[in-house]
Amino acid sequence: MSDAIAFSTIRELGARYRAKQLSPVEVTRALLGRIEKLDPTLHAFVTLTADRALADARAAEEALRRGDDRPLLGVPIAHKDIYLTKGIRTTGGSALLADWVPDEDATCVRRWQQAGTILLGKLITHEFAFGIQFPGHRFPPARNPWNVDHIPGGSSSGSGAALAAGLVHGATGSDTGGSIRGPAAFCGIVGLKPTYGRASRAGVLTLSWTLDHTGPMARTVEDCAYLLQPLAGHDPLDPASSHAPVDDYVGGLGRDVRGVRIGVVRNYFFDGVDPEVARAFEEAVETLRRLGADVRDVAIPSLQATHSFLLIMLAEAYAYHERDIREHPELYGEVLRERMLAGALVTGAEYTQAQRIRSRICDETTAVLRDVDVLATPTTPKPATPFALAYDLSFGFPKSNMPPFNLTGLPTLALPCGFSASGLPLSLQLSGRPFAEALVLRVGHAYEQATTWHTRRPPV
Amino acid sequence: MTEPFELTMEELRRRLDAAGITIVEERLAMVRKLLSDALVHVRGLDSRTIKTVEPAVRFAAGGEVRDE
Repeated sequence: MSDAIAFSTIRELGARYRAKQLSPVEVTRALLGRIEKLDPTLHAFVTLTADRALADARAAEEALRRGDDRPLLGVPIAHKDIYLTKGIRTTGGSALLADWVPDEDATCVRRWQQAGTILLGKLITHEFAFGIQFPGHRFPPARNPWNVDHIPGGSSSGSGAALAAGLVHGATGSDTGGSIRGPAAFCGIVGLKPTYGRASRAGVLTLSWTLDHTGPMARTVEDCAYLLQPLAGHDPLDPASSHAPVDDYVGGLGRDVRGVRIGVVRNYFFDGVDPEVARAFEEAVETLRRLGADVRDVAIPSLQATHSFLLIMLAEAYAYHERDIREHPELYGEVLRERMLAGALVTGAEYTQAQRIRSRICDETTAVLRDVDVLATPTTPKPATPFALAYDLSFGFPKSNMPPFNLTGLPTLALPCGFSASGLPLSLQLSGRPFAEALVLRVGHAYEQATTWHTRRPPV
Repeated sequence: MTEPFELTMEELRRRLDAAGITIVEERLAMVRKLLSDALVHVRGLDSRTIKTVEPAVRFAAGGEVRDE
């Protein structure tokens, strides 16, 4: 298979199917071959579902013959392995669930299936979407296709690696403190954390109820829009699911960004930022300005207290895992176990104060978003971390640019905006008002179309 | 500017006892750093400066629909 097919967009794939230049079975076989060749190095997949994929592909061929025009028909995808899949094991990247086969699908899994996608398998996640797998873990960690000595980001690590390497055309991710956007940034792809309540969390393993989000990951903004469309919309199985109307995400792309007010949040997001990241970000902002956006600086002072989000995440994660970790501590990975247990040490008062800090951050961010339409920030302060550093116990939880948008629940897109001198991807983060995914995608798409970063391929 | 804050090893051990949790000795420093970093802003907070009245439950005019 040529790289052109492996890296084709969803729109191109659909056009070639309907022009009878390519078939879903042909694409699926080729991707399975590519996975067989590359995944022993990348470890993006934890479970490959070749038979299921070929059955889905044959069904897609039948549907195409009938003139079915669903845009995701025949599009090969895979799910982060915290999304429950009926009849297919769902490990959560953990020894505790290593052989668990659910008897139901997550809502997002079902919706992509109903949209006609082809399921290639399950993608490795950081253990329970929280802790990187240390050497000796039952499941090896995914590696970054741009440099296999660096992490691909997490926790949707397999999703990021598989997309960057051209193994799938779309993937699910989940994002509690940046787990969609981090891998998107480190792997040079696109990830969207939708508004809290926009995409269902039903049937997805919990890390932190008040911070967890589900969403799509892809190689282009348009692909992300296609993949978001069926995920968006109310789900009675998720109590946080919203009834807000669903926009036409693809239809909104292509409009220019003249007059869109973009606020660059100058405090917090630039603390400790690598000079290469800062330079790429400023160039991205300049590009948006040239495209006609009204770019201005803004400040959200309370963001300086963002790190207290960890108290919320740790306490909620422990609440979810308490029984299992007390009864089977040996089945939790190195370091993750201690981090989970730290959640038992957060007092009720501290958790409450962290939620009050969160409330203040939400209020200040809402106020800023009355004056601007979109916020622009660097997605990560640095490019992908080397494994050697990530395995250092003193590495801990470094300051991150992504949790502010888990605390506020705002829709946030990460997309490529350059490369470091060492060849690692850099990323732009765009956030909008609640349920303004269409505008965030539109601004991201306008930037993407004005640049070529998304066309670069890793050396795998 | 938030003042630096570091949980003492004694306080960490008190919390472990209260929670009925055991953490291996060689990981205590890691847990102490994790909690210290997470707590720094809460410890520096004057809670009276945030809000004095907060909602326990939010009801939307439409009944069940709770969207903002």
